[in-house]
Amino acid sequence: MDMKWNLIILFVLLLVLGLPATAYAHGARIDYTVNMTIDIVANYDTGEPMGGAQVVVYAPDDPSNPWLTGACDDEGRFSFTPDTSKPGSWTIQARQSGHGDIVHIPIGADTAVTGSTGGYTVLQIVLMAVCGIWGFAGTALYFLRRRA
Amino acid sequence: MGKRISILTVSVLCLFIIALIGCAGARAVGTLQFHANGEDFVREGFVSKDGWSINFDHVYITLADITAYQTDPPYDPHSGGELKGKVNVGLNEVYTVDLAEGGTDAPPILVGEVQDAPAGHYNAISWKMVKASSGPASGYSLVIVGTAEKDGRSIDFTMNVDKECGYSCGEYVGDERKGILEKGGTADLEMTFHFDHIFGDAETPMDDELNLAALGFEPFVDIAEGGKLDLNMGELHLGHVGEGHCYCECH
Repeated sequence: MDMKWNLIILFVLLLVLGLPATAYAHGARIDYTVNMTIDIVANYDTGEPMGGAQVVVYAPDDPSNPWLTGACDDEGRFSFTPDTSKPGSWTIQARQSGHGDIVHIPIGADTAVTGSTGGYTVLQIVLMAVCGIWGFAGTALYFLRRRA
Repeated sequence: MGKRISILTVSVLCLFIIALIGCAGARAVGTLQFHANGEDFVREGFVSKDGWSINFDHVYITLADITAYQTDPPYDPHSGGELKGKVNVGLNEVYTVDLAEGGTDAPPILVGEVQDAPAGHYNAISWKMVKASSGPASGYSLVIVGTAEKDGRSIDFTMNVDKECGYSCGEYVGDERKGILEKGGTADLEMTFHFDHIFGDAETPMDDELNLAALGFEPFVDIAEGGKLDLNMGELHLGHVGEGHCYCECH
């Protein structure tokens, strides 16, 4: 009986020590996020730029209220970085001197990319833990089996 | 006694279930209004590109097949094509409205409304400008009545247009976004008519596309009194949604 309990304790110790753990050593880690910038160019139908045109940007989650306001430069250009945590149709409106236009730009849920150079995902950690526990439990049960 | 209680209990339960079903089945609807707007050009008058000071007494326009759409992806009027929406609501009648009604401070004209329109964002609209079958504009799709003055000369004019046009428009462009209808709420869409596109505008640079395409008032002087105008409505881009674009076909 003591031998069996010693084996069980040994397997439990191996299980605890075997799980992935943070290594506090001379490591480095880089986290990154890919952002998108939307550039628009507003022109009159004649091709002339709408220099100084007033711009209003609406986010998908609040179509009634402006998310951002601004003005085009002299060449009719305007840039902004949408909040990619809000996927859907982003609406940009440009107006000047009684002329105006509106454009809708779809931003997908997978547009924003974040990541890092190391670490495991939660799913990977769970799977590894389950495999480890199953392996150790099975081994322990083997040694604890009743002898015929 | 016990039987009565059982019958009462079952009745209450049935009523409760019916109420639950009714609430669960209630649609998210609201009121969608349709407005027509001749803007300050019509309400206050303006000076044409060739110097005529024009004021309007009446601007009768006859509208039919007025339909609002929830489109996804949003309809692009620049490319034209059939306007299809996930949800369509519209007015079933033909309406003759006077864009000059109410004077200088009047709001846009309420043409009609749909009281059980499904909630959502109506980001496109279409309508037809058709000949009126009766009333002050009978036989014409557009009748303009007013006065033009220049260099001490004053002309009372009535201009009649019998061209019929269809407009397919994208989202309204203006100070605020329109057509966002919430459950139990009210939203509106606007059919905007830019009459400076016909006569031009002295306050706009003469080399602006608007004035280059506009006819001014001078060509109409000789036919101003009861004359029928032969306008190329398709090229004049009369119909807009605020400052937003419409695809137009006229015949």
